[in-house]
Amino acid sequence: MSLRLLPPTLINQIAAGEVVERPASAVKELVENAIDAGAARVDVTLSEGGRALIAVQDDGRGMTPDDLALAVERHATSKLPSEDLFDIGFLGFRGEALPSIGSVARMTLTSRTAEADSAWRIQVEGGVKSAPEPAAGQRGTRVEVRDLFYATPARLKFLKTPRTETQHAADVINRLGMAHPEVAFTLTDGTRSVVKLGATQGDLFRRRLDRLSAVIGRDFFDNALPVDAAREGLRLTGHIGLPTFNRGNAQQQYLFVNGRPVKDRLLTGAVRGAYADFLASDRHAILALYLEVPPRDVDVNVHPAKAEVRFRDQQLVRGLIVSALRHALAEAGHRASTTVSLGALGAARPEGQPQRPALPLGRSGGQSAWSWTPPPRPSQDEVDAAYAAQAPQSGYGGLYEQPTRLPNLSAPPQARSVESHADGRPAPPSFAEAMAAVDLDSPPPAASEHPLGVARAQLHATYIVAQTADGIVIVDQHAAHERLVYERMKQAMDAGGVARQMLLLPEVVELEEAAADRVIARAEELGQLGLVLEGFGPGTILVREVPALLGDCDVKGLIEDLADELADLGEALALKDRLADVCGTMACHGSVRSGRLLNAEEMNALLRQMEATPHSGQCNHGRPTYVELKLKDIERLFGRR
Amino acid sequence: MKLTIERSVLLKSLGHVQSVVERRNTIPILSNVKLDATPDGLKLNATDMDLEIVETAEAQVQDAGATTAPAHTLHDIVRKLPDGSQIELTYNAEDSQLALRSGRSRFSLSCLPVEDFPAMVGGEFSHNFAVSAGDLRALIDRTRFAISTEETRFYLNGIYLHATKSDGVDVLRAVATDGHRLARFEVPLPEGAGGMPGVIVPRKTVGELRKLIDETGMDVSISLSETKVRFGFDEATLTSKLIDGTFPDYERVIPTENDKVMEVDRKLIADAVDRVSAISTEKSRAIKIALEKGVVTLSASSPEAGSAVEEVEASFDAGPLEIGFNSRYLMDILGQIEGEAARFDMADAASPTVIREVSDGAAIYVLMPMRV
Repeated sequence: MSLRLLPPTLINQIAAGEVVERPASAVKELVENAIDAGAARVDVTLSEGGRALIAVQDDGRGMTPDDLALAVERHATSKLPSEDLFDIGFLGFRGEALPSIGSVARMTLTSRTAEADSAWRIQVEGGVKSAPEPAAGQRGTRVEVRDLFYATPARLKFLKTPRTETQHAADVINRLGMAHPEVAFTLTDGTRSVVKLGATQGDLFRRRLDRLSAVIGRDFFDNALPVDAAREGLRLTGHIGLPTFNRGNAQQQYLFVNGRPVKDRLLTGAVRGAYADFLASDRHAILALYLEVPPRDVDVNVHPAKAEVRFRDQQLVRGLIVSALRHALAEAGHRASTTVSLGALGAARPEGQPQRPALPLGRSGGQSAWSWTPPPRPSQDEVDAAYAAQAPQSGYGGLYEQPTRLPNLSAPPQARSVESHADGRPAPPSFAEAMAAVDLDSPPPAASEHPLGVARAQLHATYIVAQTADGIVIVDQHAAHERLVYERMKQAMDAGGVARQMLLLPEVVELEEAAADRVIARAEELGQLGLVLEGFGPGTILVREVPALLGDCDVKGLIEDLADELADLGEALALKDRLADVCGTMACHGSVRSGRLLNAEEMNALLRQMEATPHSGQCNHGRPTYVELKLKDIERLFGRR
Repeated sequence: MKLTIERSVLLKSLGHVQSVVERRNTIPILSNVKLDATPDGLKLNATDMDLEIVETAEAQVQDAGATTAPAHTLHDIVRKLPDGSQIELTYNAEDSQLALRSGRSRFSLSCLPVEDFPAMVGGEFSHNFAVSAGDLRALIDRTRFAISTEETRFYLNGIYLHATKSDGVDVLRAVATDGHRLARFEVPLPEGAGGMPGVIVPRKTVGELRKLIDETGMDVSISLSETKVRFGFDEATLTSKLIDGTFPDYERVIPTENDKVMEVDRKLIADAVDRVSAISTEKSRAIKIALEKGVVTLSASSPEAGSAVEEVEASFDAGPLEIGFNSRYLMDILGQIEGEAARFDMADAASPTVIREVSDGAAIYVLMPMRV
């Protein structure tokens, strides 16, 4: 059989196989085009999950009839003005999307430039294009794709239900929406609005935070820390969630490189590294990071759909992410997630009603089917919770139900404090006065001097209640003290180095050659953590010294874990994890337990130490060590607001 | 089956038997002890499939027969019965219940069919010899502390028992190591043990064996094959599988050329180590030993708790040396040395140190330093 060149339609269908694998990828290409065209508003309509119709309407600069004709040709693009593949300033550049879609569907483009007095339309059907003809249309471009994949029935069979495909499209738009907060996006499926992201105002950080909250969930707004760091021409900005604001998978970790949403395992590894001390290994942070890289230092042309990128200097990017995140987390000090206290408020509802989980993060933000528009005001949720909590027999009253079990309190001040609420004068002074009996001899220092306030009582020999300038703080004494001990031990370890037990019988570990090389390449870093190893022939590692803390440990398992992590995440976390585990266990044993009675001095000392210790707002597993209830929240509980 | 037995006799036997039985079992019958009434007395048998104990207790047997009953429950009951009481055990095959009567107490225990009770096949033993209880006790005590608890290196989870030559004398030698330290002890080779295979006796077996030794003053008969070991006592027989692995070539890691020798009073240095390590709050409990002529200085420091220094008089002639150890390991070893004086043979801060009794070379301990 002789060789022959394939016809252009077939070429486009092959390209479509790579670029357009499902309706969501067509949506992605078209919305990116709209963003590249400078649109301020993009409206997407899907019907039957995009199978019957995908319509993308923008208000961008539009195209002339000549452009229209060229746009549907293969490798025709306006986005590579300098003809330099390494200087890419637009989302698209390959010039493949429109002809690819056109080759597998019936596509209509209607476009009108600002100067033109009418719109023009061109149709492509199964790869065959018509001549441009005048049409009615507003400024901008409207692309309608009908009967997607009608020309490639095989692909059609692989489509999921319309609902699933719509969710994928929503995901795509949400991601692009997070990258471009200045643009308004909507997605409707004919009957209901699936995505509605309003244009945002303010400076970049504010706009992004509003947009991120709209996608991820309102809670993110209250629990996000801004990140802004730069190094060697790279700039990393974005928002990261507090450790106490976590979830069970890493799906809500977004990375945008030069405005392009990408998926990169480098991010997962770096984030785990940065959050290592604050989150249990099965909990994941929620964050969105925007990386600006000089176009020459990143190759976006490695994946047809551009879902992956390649960095010239991976280590630099990883280092930047880890250090920026750590810095931001350190600055946050002991801030605990507000969802925690909101959750607590939500829980204070009459018995018999379903309780909200302590961390109400259940919103599947990535596929969020609802939207919320700033500015922040009490949401219906919150108000509901507050109203529900007003019922007199509510759980909040339960706090006071058994005075005999509050050993630090004599009954009379209890009663008085409750009365003072009841008679409508709950002002802080009277509360303080009522509780003053608790403070043994010393007059209480002014609450305003201390962020965590002044200890007022210990409840159930487990929780410390402190009064702050504008609210109350409830501290879990064990979790808080555990964290303090843990931080102290870590400091001691950093200062003194990790003591290493030399092995009488050096352990020989055999791995795949590539895996062994990866581990050996990190020998120096591991050595600082107490694990001294060296190569011992191909694929073999000889371990000579282990961290004394680990005792008689499973060296082979440790090395295998390290090798796996280096392959998956590019980070050697297993060793740190294990050291932290040991420290954590020791901290747990070495700290004040629940059930231990504390006197006022002890409680205040604990609060002062927490203020002075970084990261004291959460325990090692990302659970909060204390919860703050603002007075206004409490007042809301009692229907005063 | 029907028999009468004295409480203290049954309690003692059950005590041995029930510690072989694991507290939690996926195979129900393994929670039970097999009771076999024979004309010789009551035979008790328990196993965890790796280790089996058979013990005969004196009893007045009226009707022979056998059954199995929950070991821990039975032990608990007998333990709580008043001292000196007589216990009557009757098995009713019809409802598979074991009736236990003593004084005014009556218990009825559910039994499992005796046919289901796993029998451990002894197989052929290639070597049979006897070791005095004292020797066997020492072989265990001197080495047991160094057994590894890390399950992945299963071949270190026991005591390596083998016949070898030491300075031209045939010896029976026990070795245990966890990769950080090593303990070696030997006794003259008993008759009949020549050419015995090197075997690794599992940790649990060592523990059970040690308990039985304490109650006998007699020689213990040992039978060995490649896969099993049997320890015979007057009334009890312990049969155990051996760890199927190769014990490392431990001789290579015992240094012979360490020329920096320190001799020190064992009790003085052990007490000093104990005191100084009190300051070290870390789990690793590192301690530093600085040696100069005639004096050894122990020190430890912790960023939190402070520091401690103690000097101990010692004979040491080589140049100054500083070396770090895990104080717990050091205490373990010093606790095993019986004589008055301990001898440390050292090379440098990164090489294994040999610790032994000055006058006696039967036991030697090798300890790897720590970098502090």
